[in-house]
Amino acid sequence: MTRNRSVPIFIAILAAFALGVTVMSEAYGTGAISVSFTKVLGMTLCLCLAALAMDLVWGYCGILSLGHFAFFGLGGYGIGMWLMTARTEAVVRANLANQVIPPTEAEVSDATALQIFSVVGGEDWPWMWAASDSLFLSLVLIVLVPGLLALVFGWLAFRSRVTGVYLSILTQAMTLALSLYLFQNDTGLRGNNGLSGLQNIPGAEAIGQDRISIWFFWASAAALGLTYIGAAWLVSGKFGNIVRGIRDDEQRVRFLGYKVEAYKLFVFTLTGMICGIAGALYYPQAGIINPDEIAPIASIYLAVWVAIGGRGRLYGAVIGAAVVSLLSTYFTGGRAPDINLGLFAIEWVDWWPVLLGLGFVLVTLFAPKGLGGLVDYFVRKDRT
Amino acid sequence: MADNNTPIRIHVAARAKYLYTPEGAHMKKLLLASALSLVSAHAASAEIRVGILHSLTGTMAISETTLRDVMLMLIEQQNAAGGLLGEEIVPVVVDPASDWPLFAERARELLTVHEVDVIFGAWTSVSRKSVLPVIEELNGLMFYPVQYEGEESSRNVFYTGAAPNQQAIPAVDYFLEELGVETFALLGTDYVYPRTTNRILEQYLLDAGIPQENIFVNYTPFGHSDWSSIVADVQALGEGGQQVGVISTINGDANIGFYNELAAAGIEADDIPVVAFSVGEEELAGLDTGPLVGHLAAWNYFQSADTPENEAFISAWHEFIGDENRPTNDPMEAHYIGFNMWVQAVEAAGTTDVDAVREAMYGLEVPNLTGGTAVMLPNHHLAKPVLIGEIEADGQFSIISQTDPVPGDAWTDFLPESAVLVSDWPGLECGMYNTETETCVQIQSNY
Amino acid sequence: MQHLLRIAIIVAISLFLTPAAQAQDLSLQDILQDHAEQIADPSRRTVGETLDALVATGHPDLPGFLTRWQSREAYQRDADGFFVYVEDEDADPLVLLDISTGEAIGTAGSREITQLRPNGGVRRVIGGALVQFQLGADDPAIRLEALDAIADDPEESYLPLVEARLEAEEDPAIRARLEVVLPGLIIAFAEDDQTRVDAIRTLDGNVSLDARATLNRILSTRRGVAEALPEEANIAAILEPGSPALSRDDAYDMLVQSDLAPPLISRAEQRDVLAANIVDGRVGGVPVATLNSEEARDTAYAALVDADLAEPIPTSAEVDAALAAHTFFDAYSEPSAAVTRAARTTLDSIESRVGVYRFLDLSLDGISLASIYFLAAIGLAITFGVMGVINMAHGEFIMIGAYTGYVVQTLIADYTLSIAVALPLAFLVTFALGVLMERSVIRWLYHRPLETLLATFGISIALQQIIRQIFGTQARPFTPPDWLAGAVTVNDVISISSIRIAIFILGVIFFVLLWLILNRTRLGLEVRAVTQNPAMAASMGINPDRINMMTFGLGSGIAGVAGVAIGLFAQVTPDMGANYIVQSFMTVVVGGVGNIFGTLIGAGMIGSLQKAIEWLNPTNTLAAQTYMILFVILFIQFRPRGIIALRGRAAGD
Repeated sequence: MTRNRSVPIFIAILAAFALGVTVMSEAYGTGAISVSFTKVLGMTLCLCLAALAMDLVWGYCGILSLGHFAFFGLGGYGIGMWLMTARTEAVVRANLANQVIPPTEAEVSDATALQIFSVVGGEDWPWMWAASDSLFLSLVLIVLVPGLLALVFGWLAFRSRVTGVYLSILTQAMTLALSLYLFQNDTGLRGNNGLSGLQNIPGAEAIGQDRISIWFFWASAAALGLTYIGAAWLVSGKFGNIVRGIRDDEQRVRFLGYKVEAYKLFVFTLTGMICGIAGALYYPQAGIINPDEIAPIASIYLAVWVAIGGRGRLYGAVIGAAVVSLLSTYFTGGRAPDINLGLFAIEWVDWWPVLLGLGFVLVTLFAPKGLGGLVDYFVRKDRT
Repeated sequence: MADNNTPIRIHVAARAKYLYTPEGAHMKKLLLASALSLVSAHAASAEIRVGILHSLTGTMAISETTLRDVMLMLIEQQNAAGGLLGEEIVPVVVDPASDWPLFAERARELLTVHEVDVIFGAWTSVSRKSVLPVIEELNGLMFYPVQYEGEESSRNVFYTGAAPNQQAIPAVDYFLEELGVETFALLGTDYVYPRTTNRILEQYLLDAGIPQENIFVNYTPFGHSDWSSIVADVQALGEGGQQVGVISTINGDANIGFYNELAAAGIEADDIPVVAFSVGEEELAGLDTGPLVGHLAAWNYFQSADTPENEAFISAWHEFIGDENRPTNDPMEAHYIGFNMWVQAVEAAGTTDVDAVREAMYGLEVPNLTGGTAVMLPNHHLAKPVLIGEIEADGQFSIISQTDPVPGDAWTDFLPESAVLVSDWPGLECGMYNTETETCVQIQSNY
Repeated sequence: MQHLLRIAIIVAISLFLTPAAQAQDLSLQDILQDHAEQIADPSRRTVGETLDALVATGHPDLPGFLTRWQSREAYQRDADGFFVYVEDEDADPLVLLDISTGEAIGTAGSREITQLRPNGGVRRVIGGALVQFQLGADDPAIRLEALDAIADDPEESYLPLVEARLEAEEDPAIRARLEVVLPGLIIAFAEDDQTRVDAIRTLDGNVSLDARATLNRILSTRRGVAEALPEEANIAAILEPGSPALSRDDAYDMLVQSDLAPPLISRAEQRDVLAANIVDGRVGGVPVATLNSEEARDTAYAALVDADLAEPIPTSAEVDAALAAHTFFDAYSEPSAAVTRAARTTLDSIESRVGVYRFLDLSLDGISLASIYFLAAIGLAITFGVMGVINMAHGEFIMIGAYTGYVVQTLIADYTLSIAVALPLAFLVTFALGVLMERSVIRWLYHRPLETLLATFGISIALQQIIRQIFGTQARPFTPPDWLAGAVTVNDVISISSIRIAIFILGVIFFVLLWLILNRTRLGLEVRAVTQNPAMAASMGINPDRINMMTFGLGSGIAGVAGVAIGLFAQVTPDMGANYIVQSFMTVVVGGVGNIFGTLIGAGMIGSLQKAIEWLNPTNTLAAQTYMILFVILFIQFRPRGIIALRGRAAGD
């Protein structure tokens, strides 16, 4: 059970990292890490969480889903609806309180809807916002909605034995359909504009973003840590063996009498829910969610992170997501110094995508086990 | 050097205000931090930083890279002319990569890490809405250079592009009055600018006596290329026996397929005129404009404007970019006006402090490139002339109508819920003031 | 007929001869100077008067000036306001010509004279004034222009002119047009109902826009409400409140607007009334602080009504009674019932014919869309379908093909020639790129198909950015030659652009060619052998390496050629390929992997389906795409191997 050995190490590193960030944060420490970078780190942890789910479904169960970011986005929309409703309602109530006649509940609700939807030319509450005035219901839906979509989609797909590349393309079609659906203004989730201003937490207006950012960072770290422990437990037992068996030879496992479809469906749905949670933590830090977020390319990136980190190793997924997204932030953030080669200046902003793309190719060709494979290599050398 | 100390000290004070919290312990730490940053600001040599927040990669790069370039040119010119307040202006370019959440992240970085004094940036409405909460929280300052759907007035944003009443309404008036159009096809890309603009226009047309059944509305996705059925639908509108006109809020490269299909169907401007709000010189560069001659666009600026200022601007631009064929367009003029206004405001205020600059901005007049001056209004919009141009065979527009300066209207008069709202920052300290109840609906923006 | 002809002659004589006597000593320039301001800066609404005044002078040079003015060839000298023509627009300095004699009268710089630029509306009015001069012109194009002007804005005075023309006209195209325009004028302006009905009958079966426009104009209705149907009105329909044509709310609104019923009070108005009647913190005896529910407000309002301080709100029974007491109707603005009846039947029969044509037109659009999908996907049908390689950079090959076309066009000015060069060149470029990619990356990953996805995705990002660095982010113009620029038009309903036909033909050629290559050549045999069992193929003396390389190159090359075609009708941008990649994969998967015939059917199905959904919901193209993808997802559930599924061992897993 070598894989379980990674759990204490991972948790220790994560805890140390969280502590370090806290000590250097603006809210509770020296201020060496700016609020914006704290947010970047918190968001990166959420991406790591999504990558962890991706690793479970692809690295362990062999289902290359190119649609898991759809679940991530649904989680974000779930929390976003509550954030927008609650924040706007507070503004509206404060404003209507100035009215000579006290407002009725219907007036507050109408004015809130107008405030939220006038941007996209609407004034009524769409049906999908029904639960948005309750934080508890919203939190439940953050897990339930992605889970339900994953369950239905997975049930349809696995039942008719859609596997391999076909499944990848089908999941890609699913996320494309969802993003196109959300793009429509008539859908009721504000179309291309999506939900914005999510960093302003209702009821916490007096608390600065410096503290909110670190709280979300902690929450993200905790979610990642807990999920890591859970995932490690899940893949180390008998369940893990069966799932790995499905990855390596689905038919053989089926002939051994296991209900392959049920196992796959369970993993697919579970990871969909994890992605939903990750999204719900991510978007209040990002501040805005819109349909572009769940375009097919986002899910492909998720797979690429896992591939670069190393499939079939939980820490690999985390490393891949963290390294690639942080490097991207660094190179496109205008911080990397340009390299001047006399005649020709390399501007990182321009050349980073090329480098990234070629990096994918090189990793696929020469390091099929990813960066996690490097970790294995060194760990094993220690042992001998 | 004595000169240089003033702005920096005020700068720190401004930041202290934002970080202010009641807890004493926190306050102490903060003062320490302020002192530290005063030192570090000194060490970094006196300079004024201008953040440029335009996408250099991704789908919006097609439009936004030009704006980065024009900003770099304007800053270079200003530095050559002696800088600002005796200091050099340093541009800080970041790439939000057409990724809307990244706009918020980069804006925060610009304001807190790079400590820029002002941001010029954003193109799409959603990117602006993404940035809004951040700059309002950190009391930053942004100049937004693109025509947009209105219904907004942030304390921290100056809108140098056109509001609907500075582009869409005059163009529709032109259709109604001059072309006698009675059946309207409102074609747009499915996002907030066309949606809101069309909503305003629909109401405007109904008020003007055009019946609902004579207004055809269609929305297509970004980058749409299959236009044949839609063009056929528009043609079929002619069976009502009335003059048909198309109002296009189609965005970006989808226009290429649309105009190609129009040209293929042989629809000339005399049969069915098309007026576009998102098609400028830049978009026409990707097209064979021969068959499109006579179709219209409404902007506040065309490259063909025949004034000495414009001539100088164009030749400077060509020299800067090293390409005689790169066109200039309306958002570039908006940045030109915005940057010059900001420079004047900073000089008037003697500092780059956001609140002081904001106060100095109101009523400022700078020459625009079409002859005349642009004035900054209390609602953070400009008064600018509206130009209607016809597409010519060489990819330029010939200006056929130019109005007197039209004051930009933050809240449209043509939607009942907006008609009661006004924005007046210096007078009312509010961007969304309800004139009926005489209350400020909200200080922060509606994002 | 004869008396009409006589009228025409009299009109013509009266127009030209009578005032000419007064105008003889005045030059055209003098006349124009009287209206200089209106001519230099005309407006559609007012230019008619100016034109009437000008035409009334009957000056012989006037038609020439109006024609030039309309086509924007007239200028005004800034110094003295003189109207002039110029010899050559591009000359510097410009040579100015007198508007009457046509002789050179001096030169001017381009900033010293102003071009007269009447806008489209004004030009149409000028066109109307020119009709009388143009209808008898020798040039058929000018005669057609005059007919356009008549159709745009029919006037009674044209009726005799058009009738006279129809007798004399010999050009068949113009005759056909006249045969539509004349009934239009008769229907609009003739006195006698029977003449008009006869004219309407002649339009039967005519699907042209003009004919439909004429009939629709007669059939325009106005909605009205009254206690009883007005006797004299020509009623089109009686409307029942609560029916789809007229909702109860709208009906009641109409009553209120016509002062036939008291207005309903909205919640907001109710609130305002309450706010206006606050006495000592109470409204109608109810404390203000408790007015935060609708019941409390109703109570307070009722108290105000009792005290005569507010208007009573009509109850729903009163609303019902008011609606029942009135008749709602649509009335034709045309008074003659015989005419409207004839127009209705004629239009109905035209519309049913138009419906059939629309369906045909839509089918053409569907086929066209399908051929674009097919063209985009066919390269993938080989690399993915036959070889099983998931090439995410397929879209970028399409994009590079389009850019090849653009580059060739910048080098070769002749558009036809440049496309003839671009097609094979695009094939070569992308073929070479494909081979390079296969040799350097893909061949190492044949046993790891899912990882080719990641590697080729990386290549796709890199290629996009490299192209962006070379060509910039702006869309590049890539223009079809003139013979591909137009459209094939059957009638006013059915029309398809030539470029789409070319794409269709290209798709057919590719299909046939590939089918022949795969099924009738040695290469095809070897390809099929290698894809089915590489080891066995190798032992039969086939070199699998070479075959893989060639196949992948072929697929990539075809993507490049498709890129040229797609670039011609859509936009050439660095990220254009991304628009096609997911769609292409779906096309191949729906059709059935390993079979280009399947891809053809898949493209056909997706294309026509999308058009069908668009037709059901024409205002929202995005929804059509969404539902189309949902359909594909469901379809795969029922046919996981696509429409044409390989059977047996070849299917693999």
